[in-house]
Amino acid sequence: MSDIQQQFEAIEHTPFRQVREDAFRAFEKLGIPSSRHEEWKYTNIKAKLSKEFTFTPQESEVNKSVKAYISSLPAYAFRMVFLNGVFQSSMSIIPDLKGLTISSLKEAFSAHQELIEKHYGKLIDNNEEHFAALNTAFVNDGAFIHVSRNVNIEEPIFLHYFFTAGEAEAFTQTRNLVIAEEGASIQLAEDFRNASNIGVQYNHVSEVYVGKNAQVNVAKLQTETKNVIGIHTMEAQVDTDARFYSTTITFEANVIRNNATARLVGRNAHADLSGLYFAKDTAHIDTHILIDHVAPDCTSHQLYKGVLNDQATGIFNGKIFVKPDAQKTNAFQSSKALLLSPEASVNSKPQLEIFADDVKCSHGAAIGQLSAVDMFYMLSRGIPEEQAKQLLTYAFAHEVVEKIQSKPLRQHLCDKLKEALNLQL
Amino acid sequence: MLLQIKNLSARIGQKEILKGFNLDINAGEIHAIMGPNGTGKSTLASVLAGKPEYEVTSGEVWFQGKNLLEMSPDERAREGVFLAFQYPVEIPGVSTTNFMKAAVNAKRKHQGLTPMDAKDFLKMMTDKRAIVELSKEFTSRSLNQGFSGGEKKRNEIFQMAMLEPTLAVLDETDSGLDIDALRIVAEGVNKLRTADNAFLVITHYQRLLNYIVPDHVHVMYGGRIVKSGGKDLALQLEEKGYDWIKEEFADLVG
Repeated sequence: MSDIQQQFEAIEHTPFRQVREDAFRAFEKLGIPSSRHEEWKYTNIKAKLSKEFTFTPQESEVNKSVKAYISSLPAYAFRMVFLNGVFQSSMSIIPDLKGLTISSLKEAFSAHQELIEKHYGKLIDNNEEHFAALNTAFVNDGAFIHVSRNVNIEEPIFLHYFFTAGEAEAFTQTRNLVIAEEGASIQLAEDFRNASNIGVQYNHVSEVYVGKNAQVNVAKLQTETKNVIGIHTMEAQVDTDARFYSTTITFEANVIRNNATARLVGRNAHADLSGLYFAKDTAHIDTHILIDHVAPDCTSHQLYKGVLNDQATGIFNGKIFVKPDAQKTNAFQSSKALLLSPEASVNSKPQLEIFADDVKCSHGAAIGQLSAVDMFYMLSRGIPEEQAKQLLTYAFAHEVVEKIQSKPLRQHLCDKLKEALNLQL
Repeated sequence: MLLQIKNLSARIGQKEILKGFNLDINAGEIHAIMGPNGTGKSTLASVLAGKPEYEVTSGEVWFQGKNLLEMSPDERAREGVFLAFQYPVEIPGVSTTNFMKAAVNAKRKHQGLTPMDAKDFLKMMTDKRAIVELSKEFTSRSLNQGFSGGEKKRNEIFQMAMLEPTLAVLDETDSGLDIDALRIVAEGVNKLRTADNAFLVITHYQRLLNYIVPDHVHVMYGGRIVKSGGKDLALQLEEKGYDWIKEEFADLVG
């Protein structure tokens, strides 16, 4: 810890020294969890991460891969680019729009101090969440997005996080704060990319405030995450009559951990969380969801699907908490995994804790192979077995991709899915 | 001869269902197979299509001079065998268009042809849809998902039209159809009939045969054909039911 202490002392703390300090103390107590910790039982993250860490942002040139990718993008209205946790304003597109603030978190620390003080670090629990505490202590940079009351932003805001391997110990800490005020609506696409051929490790935290009658859609893309060890924590607070949608798509990785929490704190709020992972080789994809029904009359829906090849492993842990006041809760959870190889494995654990008496909660978990009936239907039309498998796997996975709100993004992901499946049509 | 089934026996699990079935079909012919429930009509269709649960225990099936039983289900289809399912499968996430594109191009590849270009394919889709009066919307939707019983059956005939099989087996295509859907399905079959192809129509009821007029009618009981005749046999069955068949051939079951 002495090394980590030195690094902590060395970083630029202004203007949130106290927040960082508190988080650092909390992290010092927690440390990196071992697999003895219940929440990390199936993901021995301590063994996966490097032994030592470097938190200072890696000074890095924008490489060819990043440039090529950026120039291939369609002309989106809004875009922020981060490279190894450092904001790249020259590659970003941030138009001046009334009622919408898009800035780097660092800028927001000084320019929007009041909003930051009110919201930053308030949704995470540094005393429980190892990586949220670590992130708060060492955060490099990230996006600050604020939408004013009744402002509706139609176009998705793209947040591209590129990582290029520098030192093997580099552990990049990125962070978003998203605030949608009452009646506002916004769509985000967070895109995490390994722009190198070798391993990178990062830890990302998003805090999302969905105000009264507001709507926030988050698409989280982990489609270019080969050799990545990535830890994601998203905490959303959903107020009265508000709607929160989140879809996470993971295509390849070394280790990905996705923690997502939606806390329904106002009456008649709705949360819809979904995810798809497509794991091959020895990829390890771990999803931990918590839907916390605090207020009455709220609804929640979870749809998680995994496709596993080779020796890949998947973990799904989905919690639904219904607090005593949350009467008339309607919560649904579905997790399904398709095992395409005898060596692939999945651990699925639904967990319902209900403290109210007038609620509807249901969950279903299924782990299996492709349906023989569907398969025969395909074959009976002359479609060769291999292609039939690809088509059926596509069909299985497609349901989650369909949840992405932005049509061009959805189309792009369908194409990516076909590519991942080697499906030609 | 287009299809020759010789002394075919097949089982599912330990249950013997086909017991020495014989049938010859020539190009240009329509054969109807009728019979009470549970006599093996659908098993015959499944065995011809190569459904893996069924095990052929003896006999031979020759299709255009080739040993059908040695082919995998997808090979049979590419060779020109088509099964219209009694219960078409719903596959959310695969559109009928993409399903057909994969199937048509698999067949073309088998015939040594290049994949169809997009424009020709769309034209073909439009032409074939017209045969069964399916709107464009149906083919862009997920395969059979949320389709009514009649729409599913029309989709089967549409797929048959797209794949232009040499031998089409219709497994109780008429079950669950109202009179309009029945007419559309039957007219579709009649439009697809040529001197080079053949149809094997499996049905429990005679009414489909008012629209699709068979050259030969066979009555199946106890896993084999017990009576064959012309279209009059179907009318006779409609009138008298199956009880007399059951009585006459009681020794074949049990």
